[in-house]
Amino acid sequence: MLVDSTQIIEALWETLWMVGFSLLFSALIGLPLGILLVITRKGHLWENAPLFNVLNGVVNVFRSVPFIILLVAIVPVTRFIVGTSIGTAATVVPLVFYAGPYIARLIENSLLEVDKGVIEAAEAMGATPNQIIFRFLIPEALSSLVLALTIATVGLVGASAMAGAVGGGGLGDLAITYGYQRFDTTTMYITLGILIIMVQGLQTTGNLMSKKIRRS
Amino acid sequence: MIQFSSVSKTYGSGKDAVQALSGIDLTIETGEIYGVIGFSGAGKSSLIRCVNLLERPTEGTIKIHGKDLTSLSKKEVRQTRKDIGMIFQHFNLLNSKTVYHNVAMPLLLSGEEKKKVSQRVADLLDFVGLGDKADQYPDQLSGGQKQRVGIARALATNPSILLCDEATSALDPETTQSILELLRKVNKEYKITILMITHEMGVIREICDKVAVLESGSIIEQGTVFDVFTDPQHRTTQKFVRSIMNDGLPESILNEINRKEHKHIYRIQFTGSTTGYPLLSRVSREFALDLNVLYGNITELQGIPYGNLIVEFIGERADIQRALLSIQQQHITVKDVIRDAG
Repeated sequence: MLVDSTQIIEALWETLWMVGFSLLFSALIGLPLGILLVITRKGHLWENAPLFNVLNGVVNVFRSVPFIILLVAIVPVTRFIVGTSIGTAATVVPLVFYAGPYIARLIENSLLEVDKGVIEAAEAMGATPNQIIFRFLIPEALSSLVLALTIATVGLVGASAMAGAVGGGGLGDLAITYGYQRFDTTTMYITLGILIIMVQGLQTTGNLMSKKIRRS
Repeated sequence: MIQFSSVSKTYGSGKDAVQALSGIDLTIETGEIYGVIGFSGAGKSSLIRCVNLLERPTEGTIKIHGKDLTSLSKKEVRQTRKDIGMIFQHFNLLNSKTVYHNVAMPLLLSGEEKKKVSQRVADLLDFVGLGDKADQYPDQLSGGQKQRVGIARALATNPSILLCDEATSALDPETTQSILELLRKVNKEYKITILMITHEMGVIREICDKVAVLESGSIIEQGTVFDVFTDPQHRTTQKFVRSIMNDGLPESILNEINRKEHKHIYRIQFTGSTTGYPLLSRVSREFALDLNVLYGNITELQGIPYGNLIVEFIGERADIQRALLSIQQQHITVKDVIRDAG
């Protein structure tokens, strides 16, 4: 094996760091975007066809670019925001561009599942649009929203592994530089094992949280 | 009081336009239970949703206690909605919230203080008979219990009007009865005006004071439940009435009548005070006729007895004509059964 345990632990931290921050920022973008994609729809709370079409189109554009290409394509933006296009921090930017629209779609789906009747009841009791969103729509969809964010997180773990391509660090970087390029199979399997455990843990936690929310 | 004046509602425009309501004129007096009945697609849903502007009418005005809703700002509309409770066929409760929270919701939206809210919710749950269910979730309740929660929620803000959108259509007959009783109690104890839409004539007979029949977006008949049930004018209304009034003739009787083709068989309808009148024996004596009762029933509508007899008149034709005339003079309805075909 060409790496020692401190290198692995460091890579693990980098992965957690990348996933954590990009999740935070993409959720901050994806949540409002997802809500807007729902309420600007025809016949919904804040029907606005032009806005919906623009948002819908933008989300689709970003969703159609493969991450590995997005990573390179937005280098100027990354450089503008973080000052560099190499390293862990620089990877967070494309990850957010990748996961933000993805989360928006997932959120949109969860919110669309909320029974229209509930929204009608909310309107009938004189709720304001804000109240409808925050006291009816989101609470009713919460358990499904948690599952959606879990899916997004797992997706981010996978995408962060590609960050190795721009020297982004993390477990994926380790697996590519040592496992693939230098034929160090052990390192490859160890990183793989850690990723598997991580994803299992995330999914299980997400499932538990979602279940708990449904019942409390 | 709810007043519809020439209300029309069209969905879509141009070629795809669908006219859901056209020229609705309807007045619902304060304290009444008013039923609107119609087959699916008749426009009932649109009609009831115009009252709290969940649907905005394309034409016409809707006045609630004299105030024209269509001219109000969004904020004023929301304020007015707090005075109009609504319950739904599928209850539309928040599944993520407890019974307590569901009922408290309208109060929390208005920013009432916690202590007041909990007192009010406790009272409401007691009123609908769910005092012990406050901490349960909707999916732990039966359909009838969910509708009770819906009713408690609708009453939370002390509305003066309650809209019932097919409120019992998803319930079994027994539960329907208990929910209707609760609605009657709501009407009596809180003096709340109730407007309900339904496709079940039984619901109308059970609790409504007045009824309007809706077909293809227009009101084809309206009046007191008693008048409409005892003397339906329009074909659709007759169909609805026949669906539950049981005043159609049984098959065996019809066969009997058909066999007596050239006989004189009449349907005599007694309403209200005339049910107590010994009509048949008097007619029989006065006009020297034999009367043979083939079929009859007496039901009660809004506490008024309503009788329905199929009688064969046996005797001279002239005597029969005079007898019929005399019966009509008592303001009792007589119809030739054979000519009416049942």
